[in-house]
Amino acid sequence: MGPPKKVKKNDGSKSGGEKSGKKRKIEDDQTIDLVDDDGTENVDVPGAAMQDAEKMDQVPEDEFGAKDYRSQMTLKVDNTSRPLWVAPNGHIFLEAFSPVYKHAHDFLIAISEPVCRPQHIHEYKLTAYSLYAAVSVGLQTVDIIEYLQRLSKCAVPSGIIEFIQLCTLSYGKVKLVLKHNRYLVESKHVEVLQKLLRDPVIQQCRLRRDGDEDLLSSVLPKPDSSKPKVGDDKPVADGSVPDDISQFYQQLDKEDEDDEATDISANTAVAFEVDPDKIEVIQKRCIELEYPLLAEYDFRNDSINPDINIDLKPTAVLRPYQEKSLRKMFGNGRARSGVIVLPCGAGKSLVGVTAVCTVRKRALVLCNSGVSVEQWKQQFKCWSTADDSMICRFTSEAKDKPMGAGILITTYSMITHGQRRSWEAEQTMKWLQAQEWGLLVLDEVHTIPAKMFRRVLTIVHSHAKLGLTATLLREDDKIADLNFLIGPKLYEANWLELQAAGYIARVQCAEVWCPMTPEFYREYLIQKINKKMLLYVMNPSKFRACQFLVRYHERRGDKTIVFSDNVFALRHYAVKMNKPYIYGPTSQNERIQILQNFKFNPKVNTIFVSKVADTSFDLPEANVLIQISSHGGSRRQEAQRLGRILRAKKGAIAEEYNAFFYTLVSQDTLEMAYSRKRQRFLVNQGYSYKVITELKGMDQEPDLLYGTREEQGMLLQQVLAASESECEEERVAGAEGGTVRRAGTLASLAGADDALYLEHRRPAHHNKHPLFKKFRY
Amino acid sequence: MSESKSSKSSSNLNPSPTLQCKDLHEYLKSRSPQFLETLYNYPTICLAVYRELPELARHFVIRLLFVEQPVPQAVVASWVSQAYSKEQNKACEALSELSVWQEAPIPGGLPGWILAQSFKKNLKVALLGGGRPWSMSSSLEPDGKARDIAFLDAYALERWECVLHYMVGSQQTEGISADAVRILLHAGLMTRDAEDGSAVITRAGFQFLLLSTAKQVWLFLQHYLHTAEKRSLSAAECLAFLYQLSFSTLGKDYSTEGLSNNMLVFLQHLREFGLVYQRKRKAGRFYPTRLALNIACVRGGAAPLEPTGGSKHGHILLETNYRVYAYTDSTLQIALLGLFTQLLYRFPNLVVGVLTRESVRQALRGGITAAQLIHYLEQHAHPQMLKSETGGIRSSSMLPPTVVDQIKLWESERNRFTYTEGVVYNQFLSQTDFVVLRDYARAQNVLTWQNERTRTMVVTRAGHDDVKKFWKRYSKNS
Repeated sequence: MGPPKKVKKNDGSKSGGEKSGKKRKIEDDQTIDLVDDDGTENVDVPGAAMQDAEKMDQVPEDEFGAKDYRSQMTLKVDNTSRPLWVAPNGHIFLEAFSPVYKHAHDFLIAISEPVCRPQHIHEYKLTAYSLYAAVSVGLQTVDIIEYLQRLSKCAVPSGIIEFIQLCTLSYGKVKLVLKHNRYLVESKHVEVLQKLLRDPVIQQCRLRRDGDEDLLSSVLPKPDSSKPKVGDDKPVADGSVPDDISQFYQQLDKEDEDDEATDISANTAVAFEVDPDKIEVIQKRCIELEYPLLAEYDFRNDSINPDINIDLKPTAVLRPYQEKSLRKMFGNGRARSGVIVLPCGAGKSLVGVTAVCTVRKRALVLCNSGVSVEQWKQQFKCWSTADDSMICRFTSEAKDKPMGAGILITTYSMITHGQRRSWEAEQTMKWLQAQEWGLLVLDEVHTIPAKMFRRVLTIVHSHAKLGLTATLLREDDKIADLNFLIGPKLYEANWLELQAAGYIARVQCAEVWCPMTPEFYREYLIQKINKKMLLYVMNPSKFRACQFLVRYHERRGDKTIVFSDNVFALRHYAVKMNKPYIYGPTSQNERIQILQNFKFNPKVNTIFVSKVADTSFDLPEANVLIQISSHGGSRRQEAQRLGRILRAKKGAIAEEYNAFFYTLVSQDTLEMAYSRKRQRFLVNQGYSYKVITELKGMDQEPDLLYGTREEQGMLLQQVLAASESECEEERVAGAEGGTVRRAGTLASLAGADDALYLEHRRPAHHNKHPLFKKFRY
Repeated sequence: MSESKSSKSSSNLNPSPTLQCKDLHEYLKSRSPQFLETLYNYPTICLAVYRELPELARHFVIRLLFVEQPVPQAVVASWVSQAYSKEQNKACEALSELSVWQEAPIPGGLPGWILAQSFKKNLKVALLGGGRPWSMSSSLEPDGKARDIAFLDAYALERWECVLHYMVGSQQTEGISADAVRILLHAGLMTRDAEDGSAVITRAGFQFLLLSTAKQVWLFLQHYLHTAEKRSLSAAECLAFLYQLSFSTLGKDYSTEGLSNNMLVFLQHLREFGLVYQRKRKAGRFYPTRLALNIACVRGGAAPLEPTGGSKHGHILLETNYRVYAYTDSTLQIALLGLFTQLLYRFPNLVVGVLTRESVRQALRGGITAAQLIHYLEQHAHPQMLKSETGGIRSSSMLPPTVVDQIKLWESERNRFTYTEGVVYNQFLSQTDFVVLRDYARAQNVLTWQNERTRTMVVTRAGHDDVKKFWKRYSKNS
């Protein structure tokens, strides 16, 4: 007997849908900076999630090439008092100036993905994932449809209603709960569990102990009728005024609280236990059966795991949006797993710290570099009552004693490290694996490949997972994986609103166009791609513009960071301008020293950094950022870099702008196209880039370098003489396992010059059977 | 050696002069005195011209209307106090320009003024009555299917928008007559596409679309009159009829009886453009619409006809991410937007589009300038845009400054060539000849470009004569 086949309404279109999921945004070769995991693509995505509302509209295009939805949308009489248009392809447009904007905004954030949020009209998109997230935070199918219907200026297209039903009906019914160190699959709906249990795969995963043959339920599930039904008792008055809208919203809110009350008091759910080793299998199977497992943690009633003694300091005050995001997470008194998206510098760490303090169980914090491990520790000490004895760092440099510590901070690579470890590390790992963690905080969650992530999840047993990130986007569109590995997106802040409220700095973005000098341009046209890149980065006009900007801002007393992905350019610029620089090979000590100087030494106002500083280098002082070379068209990098200067500055609201973000681009080169592509994310967040074609006052500036033809010629020679490898961008260690060939003397091979001989093995792909490759690695 | 002149004129790159909408005064001023003379045979025109005159000039006309001899200029000057001599000069000028009066010597040799005979006669008719009855005014039996003003307004708009639609090139509208197309082409509002011969809008055409409806109609009719002779119609007669229309009452029907054949033809044309309404060609009666009535008041603020989109308050929202949202359902407005935006969605009362480099370049290629685009967006900006803070950068415009900048940059990136007129010298017989001449030109600072390998050089136009003389001397000597 095969697995029960679900007959789907749109079986015919399924293959099409699958394709769309696989469809790659073919950005370009340069943007694939993330480890690709082709083999495992789509395995964790339920069928319904493959649905794409975009596919559903087969509408004629009008004479201007626009999609003509006029026939499908009938305008309501009182359309002016309602704020939305819902297009049949799932896109939703919201008037930001509508009086009911606030309600509509909160609602849309819950059920859909923001596409762009500039000043007047915001665009959202309904996706299977966003609806999944909506269900998991407690919204019901009927409510979603009803409320959407009320907010919309036009009747909601029937296709959209079907889509919402299809995506939400089966979601959120089954939960995976970790109780007494046993994994239980729990549901309020007996029939669903029974259906799941009929599946042979799930049967195998089920763990039967003596004594419980049947479902683990002491209390019989209450009939469904006890649940308060919304909308039934209310006359559906279509001509209702916006009053109605707000009423309805309040009701939704209230119900959320009701939900909480009933959840705690009457645990009427039924459950069965599953084998911890087969969690992955059952998760995947449930997704295939269209019942994705929601992970929730009832930490208040967990008496097995000891509480840790940690609280927020009274000085820690949460901002409204931080509070809101945490409310979404702890909405029903339990901890939901999910991702919270806040702009860089908006206080993600405080959200993480607060979450840990709320759960008050052992917590594991994962971040992606040693520097940010230190910064997290700092944050814990700053905001909470935790002291050194409670916080344990576990990195290659610092290994604190883990025993008795409540909070462990480490990096992704430490956990997933495949090779032999030192004895000490081995012990820590063993301990770590044996623990039952209350909360797993994942910092910069967008940066880790899904593969690595699955490894983390098999090693660490945690009740709840909280992902933190600033930019939930990846050029390879794999962000969807996170939805099912961690959980749905719980909250996403609006950048412009935070900026207006003064929580993040007001940034002036500018794109400075630097004309290529004729000599450089001639070479640019004839050279190969790698050289081209170096040529446009080393363009003398760009150097001069950079030098001018650095000086200009030093005079203003600003702190400036200059970013360059290209190491050759980084070194050249920094050495010529006599500034400190940090890149991959810079040692941890030197890095910290430079950063300390940058923070406290008034003489060091400018530093040059490579892309190692893209994420989680916390430099609160910096308020000017100059980008001289970047990584292709990566939107995420652009946003991350902007994040370096986003932290609110003192006197934030008083000044019009208090941070500046310059991108220097060489005119008429590939860079122009890249730069346009990179800006898309921020532009959609409402940022605007000012194009500067001429820097005022640059001709009056004395002794800028490379002013003469001769100097430029020399520079050109240097650039042309640079070796192939120098042209390339820096590879971040660990992310890609490339080998480097270096020339060395025999003496250093023998041990002189502090050289060490190490043998590396490629981490993955070695003699793994393709079957096993799929999930574990 | 030969020299070939390849003078590149840059005139075709410069934008054509902006579209001017003359009012009646300016229009008549530009006509010949003979034409004016024939015009003044129509009392209606005389009355219209009289109304258009400056106040002081009207005063003069009335004072002179019943004077048969020339009046000394000094006397006319004495009617106005010295303090207003400027106004007086202006009034006199206007009267002379329109040949309302002529200079005539009075006995004794002093210069004097006398009103033009035909003008005087017909203005009297217009003011005092008499003469032939106005053909239109003949009484009619009440219309069984009388049309009200709202209907006429709607009809006029629909017809007029047909013409505008044709200009923006939206296919859904039924075409307009070949005659109207000819007028548009003649007016330079549209031009034949070089490739397929279809009519496409020109720069002037775009400006035309941005004018108020009354101005559009008047401008269009001016060009109609220009070409009137080709249709064996008399421009004067047509203009007189138009003004006769403009004195009629909205919502009242008039008889076609007594109209000449030419005027009946003209009436059919006016019907096509929506200036008059006729149920049937042979109905024997017609209703002038607001479009016709407004002709006389192009200059002043006439009661404007509301376009169907209700664009009285702007409807366009422009976002910093280049999105354009237009609250409109008028196909004309949308077609206009479609000229320079890439439209994405159409909802019952909203259009969503985006400004892309391609779409804007498309418009720029069509001869529309960035300034016109920005002006259009500004003019129709949604009230919400007025409230918006412009992202911090202070600017006079309510549009997002970055978008405005970008549109300008897109325009300027098309004009990155600088043109210098010059003369090419090539086919030198020896390298030395070339070097000598090149060095000479360089020394004179007139050398624009040179290539030693192909022995070609370009000398600025100004330097050409000098270099040529030098070359003659040089080749003579050697």
